[in-house]
Amino acid sequence: MANISCTGITKSYGAHPVIDGLDLTVADHEFVVFLGPSGCGKSTMLRMIAGLEEVTAGRITIGGTDVTDLHPGARGVAMVFQSYALYPHMTVADNITFGLRRLGVPKDEVARRLRDVAAMLGLDALLDRKPKNMSGGQQQRVAMARAMIKTPKVFLFDEPLSNLDAKLREKLRTEIRKMHNALKTTTIFVTHDQLEAMTIADRIVLMRAGAIEQQGTPDEIFDRPATRFVADFIGSPTMNFRMGIIRNGVAEAGSIRIPLPPGRFAVAEGQEVELGLRPARMGLVAGDAPGAIHGRVVLIENMGAEGQVIAEVNGAEMSFVTKEFRRLAPGDAVSFALSPDHLHIFDRASGRSLLNKDA
Amino acid sequence: MTRQRFIFLTLAPATLVLVTLALVSTGGALWFSVMNRALRSPDSEFVGAYNYLRLLRDKRFFNALEISAIWEVVTVAGTLIVAVLLAVLVHETVKRALWRNLICFAFLAPVLLPRVAAAFIWRFLYSPSLGLANWFAGLFGIGPIEFLADPKIALLSVAVVDIWQWGLFFTVILVKLLETLPQDPIEAAMLDNARTWEIHAFVTLPMLRGPIISLALVKAVESLRSFDLIFVMTGGGPGTATETLDLYAYQSGINLGGRISYASAMSILLLVVTTVAFTFIWRAGKKWSR
Repeated sequence: MANISCTGITKSYGAHPVIDGLDLTVADHEFVVFLGPSGCGKSTMLRMIAGLEEVTAGRITIGGTDVTDLHPGARGVAMVFQSYALYPHMTVADNITFGLRRLGVPKDEVARRLRDVAAMLGLDALLDRKPKNMSGGQQQRVAMARAMIKTPKVFLFDEPLSNLDAKLREKLRTEIRKMHNALKTTTIFVTHDQLEAMTIADRIVLMRAGAIEQQGTPDEIFDRPATRFVADFIGSPTMNFRMGIIRNGVAEAGSIRIPLPPGRFAVAEGQEVELGLRPARMGLVAGDAPGAIHGRVVLIENMGAEGQVIAEVNGAEMSFVTKEFRRLAPGDAVSFALSPDHLHIFDRASGRSLLNKDA
Repeated sequence: MTRQRFIFLTLAPATLVLVTLALVSTGGALWFSVMNRALRSPDSEFVGAYNYLRLLRDKRFFNALEISAIWEVVTVAGTLIVAVLLAVLVHETVKRALWRNLICFAFLAPVLLPRVAAAFIWRFLYSPSLGLANWFAGLFGIGPIEFLADPKIALLSVAVVDIWQWGLFFTVILVKLLETLPQDPIEAAMLDNARTWEIHAFVTLPMLRGPIISLALVKAVESLRSFDLIFVMTGGGPGTATETLDLYAYQSGINLGGRISYASAMSILLLVVTTVAFTFIWRAGKKWSR
């Protein structure tokens, strides 16, 4: 039992609040990712749950116990840092067992748990090494072992993969998710990488300027972004945005005409809106297909299996992704369209999605 | 200009000064040490190793050697222990930068005092009738304590002054070093249930092992040059209780004995002993700090 609940969390440096009255609950066994641009307060939030940062106002409970004023060591949490944060002068074995030894766990018990954890993370051969003689990936594995051996109620990851190269990042990401599937420990994982968040999260909490912008499963966040900010932040290549207007049940933006399914959007006739078109939800069509967008190819980015085509439409660039990019060349006239039901419409002033809740 | 010539030309002036000052005087001392020169007569003749052989039968010389060794150990260990404890205390209790800087400034003051001035200040503090130290002792019903006249505690009393000057100075250095440490391992240790003293004993101080060993070496060299402090405070007394090798060399060579050759032999021996000792300490230090 280790659900986390944060109520009315406020954090101020001086008179300036960086987080203001944030409420959040994490269910037992859940894998939650805090996602957001740098400076949005996601790391501060994690550090407050860990106890490394004081809470200005509000309460934090872990497994039903109020831990707001508890020492970090007494909260039953384990944390993995971006910088690995290993003790540089200790061997790998000493690094991993440091916490258990501080608790006075009997020696043979410590040795047994060290063996188990080292085997699970493939560290058996490295136990006598010092951190400085190891690669970044190995060091981060040691940091994970140090967190796991304590069998904490909660795992906290603070951008653990940011210092690693792309390939290793993917590999460790998979390992972290597998580890969670096996141990089922409640986990909070902080990252600014939306792809990382999409791939490992049960639930994403997308933060912006110290507040939660939207939370939901990766699918909800990707397909039903609540605001323009979320739509812009999630997805690669990023969403195309166009200023438009609603006329006769059709969304118009320059030469673009996209018919709206009735009842899907809460829009009024003549309302000025912003349209969002995901490149990944578009494809090549015949020139006379309904809803076709006509443009001229500016650039083609080969991504292997598919390509991103950047086309000029009404004097502005718009990109879409297609597998058939190889038959296009810069300068070609091109027609493409959004697949039905994947249009996003945002209010121009508030940036909120105008998609109907039940649609 | 070639690189070699550049190196030669830039090193030459300093080397020249060093050779003139160090080698000429060392050569002179070596020359004196094999003569029987004394202040009371203008003549002298070559006596070979006579002075060295006499040293080996001189009980006062071995006493001075012992006092010097004790002085080294007490002042180096005392300075480091005081510096480490105070630095951790300041680091943990004083969080505001302004207060920390004020404390550091205050801790720097003693080492800025000339040795002789420090020695006089503490002679007054230690005075059995007028001194502040005995006034405090009197509050607890102890004393008066003869800090500088009691052979059992005289050396320790002088060492306290040395530690007061250098321990506080090293505290400032260690406080600044503690501030430069990365915070992540310390936070990791907090999450690993380490108490404050455990964080310092097992994480921060081991991370500072290299600098601390360097400080110890600097202090060990510095402690060899404590002639002025001891001379002003006790003059080597009472008896020979605080007589280090350099004090004995001064007493026998210049002050009372006037036996320059004998004192020179002592200086040469001191030079050899410290060079050999420090070569070993230096090597060991380099190994530990890795």
